[in-house]
Formats: sequence, C-alpha cells, structure tokens
Amino acid sequence: MPLILASAASAAGYVFPNDLHVYWGLMIVLYPYITGIVAGAFIVSSLYHVFHVQSLRPVAQFSLLFALAFLVCAALPLLVHLGQPGRALSMFLTPNPSSAMAGFGYFYLAYAALLVLEIFFIYRPVLVLRQQAATGGRRLFYGVLAVGSDNLSAEALAMDRRIVGVLAGLGIPMACVLHGYVGFIFGGIKANPLWATPLMPVIFLLSACVSGIAGVIVAYVVLSKMTGRQPDRACLRTALRFLWGFFLVTFALEMLEIFSQAYMATSHWQTLRSLLWGPLFNSYWVWQVTVFSVIPLALLGYLSLQRVSATVFRVLAPLAAVMALLQVFLMRWNVVIGGQLISRSGRGAVYYDPGWLDREGILLSAVILLLPVAVLYGLGRILPLWPDAGEVSEGAPATGSLNLSSVESVKQDSGEEFA
Amino acid sequence: MQPDFKSSTHLHVIRLALTIAGVLVAGILLRQALLPAGYGTSGRYRPGAELDEANRTVRNLANDACLACHPLIRKLHLAGTHATVSCEICHGPGVDHVQDGKLAGAMPTVAGDVIGPVCLRCHGQVARLRPLDSIRMVSASDHLTGHRVRADNDCDQCHHVHAPMKWVREAREMVGLAAEPEGGRPWTN
Repeated sequence: MPLILASAASAAGYVFPNDLHVYWGLMIVLYPYITGIVAGAFIVSSLYHVFHVQSLRPVAQFSLLFALAFLVCAALPLLVHLGQPGRALSMFLTPNPSSAMAGFGYFYLAYAALLVLEIFFIYRPVLVLRQQAATGGRRLFYGVLAVGSDNLSAEALAMDRRIVGVLAGLGIPMACVLHGYVGFIFGGIKANPLWATPLMPVIFLLSACVSGIAGVIVAYVVLSKMTGRQPDRACLRTALRFLWGFFLVTFALEMLEIFSQAYMATSHWQTLRSLLWGPLFNSYWVWQVTVFSVIPLALLGYLSLQRVSATVFRVLAPLAAVMALLQVFLMRWNVVIGGQLISRSGRGAVYYDPGWLDREGILLSAVILLLPVAVLYGLGRILPLWPDAGEVSEGAPATGSLNLSSVESVKQDSGEEFA
Repeated sequence: MQPDFKSSTHLHVIRLALTIAGVLVAGILLRQALLPAGYGTSGRYRPGAELDEANRTVRNLANDACLACHPLIRKLHLAGTHATVSCEICHGPGVDHVQDGKLAGAMPTVAGDVIGPVCLRCHGQVARLRPLDSIRMVSASDHLTGHRVRADNDCDQCHHVHAPMKWVREAREMVGLAAEPEGGRPWTN
C-alpha cells in the first residue's frame, strides 16, 4: 500500500484518482439502516393488526410509535449528506417520475402519512380520554390531536378498527415498497458489481424486517426494565421466532448471492473476490457472517426450539436481538461502503476510514442514530407506549380469516416454560 | 347504554379527510408560488437556466493575475518545469484569495504530509492520468526507496513545489553527481 496515499483513503492495485474518495460515507449507511428499522417495526405491528398474531399485542402499538420515531429521523442522514438540504424539496416542486432517487421522497412521504393516520386511529380513544381529563393548554393540545371529536361510541370505534385494518393492510405493501426501493437504489446501479443484482431489494427488505423486529425486541426489553415492568415472555418468544425466521431467510439469501456468483465465476467474480477477501474481509467474513450471523442464528434457534429457563431467556433474548441489529448494520456498511471500495478499473480497491468529527463522521452518525430514541421519549410523553396503561386502547382486532400457525404454537407454549 | 357524545360518529373521519385535502391544496398552491418562472414551458427544461449559469460569479483566475502580486514565486515558477501548471490546481480558486483587487482570505498552501495525494494527481504511476512522455511518473514508495530516503518522506522535502528540480539540481552540482539515479532523462530545472 503506498504510504503516501494514506491520508484519507488508501489504495491497493490499480485505482483511479477519482476512486480514492468514498462519496457515500457513514450517512448513506445509516439511511437504509434507519429506513429498514421503520419498515421492520411496522411489520411487527401488522403481524398483530392484520395477521392477528395475538401474542404480539403488548408491542403492537409500541412498534408503530417506534416506527414513527425512526421514520421522523430516516431522511436526516440524507439531508446531512446532501449538503444543501433545501434541494430535497425540489422533488416535490419539479417532480421527475423517472428519477430513482426522487422515488424515495414520494414513498417516504406517503408512508409517513399512512403511519400517522394509523397511529391516530389506534390512539384516538386515548387522545379523547386524555383531553377530557386535562385542563388548559394540555386539553387544547389533545383536543387538536383528536381533531375535536369526542365520539367514542361503539359504532365509531368499530369504524376506527375497520380503518386501522385497511391502513395496516395497505401499510404492508407500502413498507415493502419503501424498503425494497432502498435496495433497488443500490441494485439498479449496474456499473457496480457488488450492488447490481435483482436480489438486492429482496435482501434489503428481509434484513429490514430483521432489524425492525430486533429493534422492537431490544426497545421493549430495555424500556420494560427502565419502567420496572416485566416484559411479556410469550410476546418476546413470538417476536424472537419471527426474528429467527426472517434472519434465516436473509442470511441464506446473502450467502446464496455470493456463492452463486462464485460458483458461476461471473465476469465480476474476480473483482468481488478481491473485495471480499481484501478490504472487506474483516467487516464481512469475520464480523457480519461469522460473529453477528452465525452466533445469533444459533442463539435464536436455541431459544426458539429449546425450553430454556427464565434467567437464560432474559439474558440471551436481548443479546440475540442486539447481535441481529449489529448484523444488519454491518450488512448496510458492507454493501454501501464495500461497493465504493472497488475501483472502476476493476483491478484495485481503496480503504475507507470514517473520521470522528467529519460532517459525515462517527460522532454525528451516533447522534442521528440516537435521535429516534429521543423522539420516542417525546412520543411516550404524549401517548402511552403500552396497551394496558390504564386507559382504553383500540382493543383486540376483529377476527379475520388469516391465522398463522405460530399463533397456535405460541398459545401452547406460553405459560409452560415461563409460568 | 351509550353515553352521549357531543360530536357525531363520523366527525373525526370527515375532519381528517378535510385536513388531508387542505394540505394537498396548500401544497399545490405553494408549488405554484415557488416554481421558478418559465418552468414547464418546454417540458422539464427551464429557459432561464442558461442565463442563470452565465451570470454565475467567475471563481477562477489566470496565472498572470496571481504572479502579478508574487514576484518571487513568479521568478521561481516560470523558470521551473511547473511553469505551465495553473496556480489554482494546488491552491484552489483565486476568488477565495482576491476579490475586486483586494485580499479576501488566506490562500491555502499544500505542504507536508498532505502534499502526496496532490502531487500524485499528475505524477502517480498507478493512475497514469497523464501522458508518460511529458510528465514524470512515479510510484511513491519505489521512488522513495529508489533514492534511498525514508519511506515516509514528503514530496516537498526534496522538491520545491514551484521548481521541482531546483534543489535536486543544486544538490547534484554541490556533490558532483550528474546522472539521474533512476535512469530517467536528465531534468533541466
């Protein structure tokens, strides 16, 4: 490695000067990561609201607020990266339907509207009751949030439930489009051998579900501990099973994608191999694949298939979820940064080290990653995070035709190991 | 027994629908107000864009403008092999330094451990961005070890940036060396 190039990025092999700088840095790693958590958390909520997985009831409302907190911050890394954030509005002023980048703005806005509407209809009884119990500014605040209606009649609540069902049903394809689209942004760049695969949107979408479910599990456990509540184990167990399932499929696809390229020895394989066994070796093979995929998958399999004591479950469940969260972060890193480490010459690679205090550096990334937690805290001050906070909630969903086998199995499991 | 409610059953849905419609209408009106004049008359092309570009402030100066105020650099620069290299390639846009004939800010200089990548933009053998027969290409580590100097030496420890071979030539004259050790063609200044 030429020592003299080591200031910002260093290089090996044949590298063009305009390859030296990695333009899509940490912020562009955060953007699909945060967006993925939004989509995944929404899936958790939909498992209850649409697919009627009853055991997820304790986190059904919370996961929506969790999704909203992350959604509010999802565009922030992009705006920081843009440098001129005001230009983001141009996609609405002068819309260009053929722009893949602008597509995110439209999907994001539509999805945000849907999420806010769903939260409104789910929390309407709470808003009305809090308005009636409050005085002064607080009363006005909740009154505005409840759009001035106090009607909690059975007829109105039934209508709300129907609307929630429709919104949650609509939300699933929208969540898939929102995050599948993020994968498409990368998968559609045919000049980059690491990105250009039609599998990219699918892998992004599935790993979004992994990060969202894992995020909800971690937040649920941590917030329960902080508020002195006992997390519902049947709920955690179901969430862990879904996490395990999504994680297995994601990991299988990630590996299949690489191994089919290797087996076919595609025209890009030489380049990809020099990348994966070069600058990405540690972050991909060691951290993403070995430490943060194999170990949590084994843990999740163990927790899902074996009867474990409450103490072991309390320790291993959040540990596996945190590791799944880190795996997805590493996957985003390896895709976003990794793709840019390949020189356009196809015969060399650069190395990337993010600065601590850069505009797109580690410190600001940490702040942006923690910001949703602050937003969630704010949302928790306005709305109850949990369904049994002593107030009326939207209640159980109407019986539907869909019934996942896991519902039955969870019903059988709950109360046995954890009684 | 249902309690009495002040609002009707559908009030919140109606108000919400009206709010969404209101936001949409406001958005459309705001777009009309914010759209630049002329946009949309020829598809997505805005005729005024060319004029806007033509009216942008010129940020770059020519070498003559720089050298007019820096006579010592002028003497060195024009006598060296870098005589035709633009000042702004290394120093950045002139307008950051001089505006309306007055000093506007300090000119960035490139020296020390950050100079390598700047020199290698043109001289990097790995990238080969310049023709080999007119510009000396070096592979940084080979060049340093070939001259038996420390591998972490900076370029400007041996080369004056404005007259790259000046110090090298002077050193050779002092110790009586004539030949180019790496086997290249003899360099003038």
